[in-house]
Amino acid sequence: MSDALTLAIPSKGRLKEQVEAWLQDCGLGLSMSGGDRGYRARLQGVDGVQVRLLSAGDIAAALVSGEVHLGVTGEDLLREQGVEAAASALLLRPLGFGRADLVVAAPRSWLDVSTMADLEEVAHERLVRTGRRLRVATKYLVQTREFFARHGVADYRIVESGGATEGAPAAGAADVVVDITTTGATLRANDLKILEDGVILRSEAQLTAGLRADWTPEGMAAAESLLRILEARAAAHASATLIWPGGDKDPILPELETLGAVRRPNGLLAPVGLVARVAARLTAAGRGPVTASRPDFVFETACPPIARLRTALGQS
Amino acid sequence: MIQEPRLPADRLEAIRAAFRETGATWVQPPVLQPLSLVLDLAGEALRSRLFVLQAAGGEEVCLRPDFTAPVARLHLASGAASGDYAYEGLVFRASEDEAEEVLQIGIERFAPDGDRVAADADLVDLVWRAAFAGGRGDLSLRLGDAGLFPAFVESLGLNGALAARLTRMAARPSRLAAELDRAGGPESDDPSEGVIARRLGALPPEEAAALLEEIWMLSGITPVGGRSAGEIAARLVRRSETARAPSLSPDQADAIRAFLTVRAAPRAALEQLGRLAPKAAGLQARLADWARRLDRIEAASAGSAAATFDAAPRGDFAYYDGLVVEVLSDALGPDRPLAAGGRYDGLQARLSGGAGGGSALGGMVRPGRAIAETGR
Repeated sequence: MSDALTLAIPSKGRLKEQVEAWLQDCGLGLSMSGGDRGYRARLQGVDGVQVRLLSAGDIAAALVSGEVHLGVTGEDLLREQGVEAAASALLLRPLGFGRADLVVAAPRSWLDVSTMADLEEVAHERLVRTGRRLRVATKYLVQTREFFARHGVADYRIVESGGATEGAPAAGAADVVVDITTTGATLRANDLKILEDGVILRSEAQLTAGLRADWTPEGMAAAESLLRILEARAAAHASATLIWPGGDKDPILPELETLGAVRRPNGLLAPVGLVARVAARLTAAGRGPVTASRPDFVFETACPPIARLRTALGQS
Repeated sequence: MIQEPRLPADRLEAIRAAFRETGATWVQPPVLQPLSLVLDLAGEALRSRLFVLQAAGGEEVCLRPDFTAPVARLHLASGAASGDYAYEGLVFRASEDEAEEVLQIGIERFAPDGDRVAADADLVDLVWRAAFAGGRGDLSLRLGDAGLFPAFVESLGLNGALAARLTRMAARPSRLAAELDRAGGPESDDPSEGVIARRLGALPPEEAAALLEEIWMLSGITPVGGRSAGEIAARLVRRSETARAPSLSPDQADAIRAFLTVRAAPRAALEQLGRLAPKAAGLQARLADWARRLDRIEAASAGSAAATFDAAPRGDFAYYDGLVVEVLSDALGPDRPLAAGGRYDGLQARLSGGAGGGSALGGMVRPGRAIAETGR
């Protein structure tokens, strides 16, 4: 394999489906390479990109170590790699799926505990009275330590949890948990509640670059081709084109530009949220019929994520 | 990985001799200590500096990060009422920029009771002489008392929960500063559970616990986590009372700031502290004890040392609850003491899970820093 760029995507679960759907939507199909048990793939549409399918946790580790150039994984998993992760992984684009919050949850029966300050006090009283520390079940050790320290909670200890963290208090293995939740339903089902100031991170899937990877000019070129497509598709989703007779040099154009629309050869490109307002202004001014349609891609000359990547790599 | 340098045998022997002269029993506590116990004592903040190991299928253990708790456990296991124990060996703490295997020579002393002031002064003198035997000429003593700040806070007449919070935060300057900056601000609201709390507060404890259990049942809550209904009901009542009690006044915040900045030669520091709270009996009694301690220290070898007294509690000695002593060197700076010790009467009760109450104190020298030829 002499591919210049490695892209890691999740190998299982809902996140895998969402990433595949996102790439598909951008016109980038995946073809699994045979004989490799489906853990490698080719990206159709961009040359020089090898796709590796890994677990989301392994992707975070591979990004931080520089084993892969680009990857899609949760921000929660990246942060769990430790403080160096911030320096060696660059978030390029939030993807709007894989949303999950990392939260501190305490038993609902603890009516006297609704904030981290309550937790701090209860933890200390426990230590003084029994000599034992409050037990916190989690697999997010790094973020738990950092967050608890920031809130002055010192008298606790972590019980490392492999899976089903939310069940630890019911099982008698812990008092509170730090875990990922989307709706809070699983926590509630386990008689736990999220503390008012207990949201550690609002996470979602992120397209991320590994800064320690070996970035050759060819790799950077492949990344730029890929990112331009992804950005163009994202921009297309966020905008609509409006055309009307005489729209190429209508004197009303400057006024609409001040609203945030951008001039195009035969009309305007407007953010989706502005389409109705712009169209109403046009029809009120006697222009029409106004046709609004969604573009498939909007390629801009600039590509901000690539610019940020070059800066972070000291290449700009 | 940074290694401690080879330590010259004659200097080591001189340090050792200071502890040998006490007649203490030399002990060798296990290098491997139960992780859960070490974390219960020291907290999660220490975990990142521990070397953790696990035998196949066994409980997690760590390399001892200090000698105090391991020696205290040996003493408790012996069943003896009193004991003096000397030790020499390695302690292990992960570090980026310092040796991770560090030699310590020290002593731990347990007694049912007795003259704590005299015992404290003797320890200060012993630690000083042992450190001095390392041959350095740039040493000074830093003294403190982990019990002074709580006694001072008590003298301010604050509500119990606030006083307890300030005391807990004393060793964490940034948290304490934030708390002091809030002084004189708006009162906090009575929490939404205030109605329940007031009703619970009007009941005897057993009925309050029963009512809380009824509330759980009606709201479909199954209690989880290791706290009883009685405990939660009692704290609901306390929390509501605290929310209605007056918060810290700007004057009180200023008084606390003034207390924590006292750092001077011991006699002068005691005088400054005494002036801050002239009518506080608990604090004045502690200060009077210190005057006697200093009398004894000044009459001994340690009396020749340049000394400062620092009123601010220090965070890195979590289990000390009385005297704190450190020996510093000009060359190594204030953050790298070459010897340290203190009183930890409360630790025994925590280790045994029961009533302790006896006198417990100890101190150690780090020869790698104390020896003139190696401590840089």
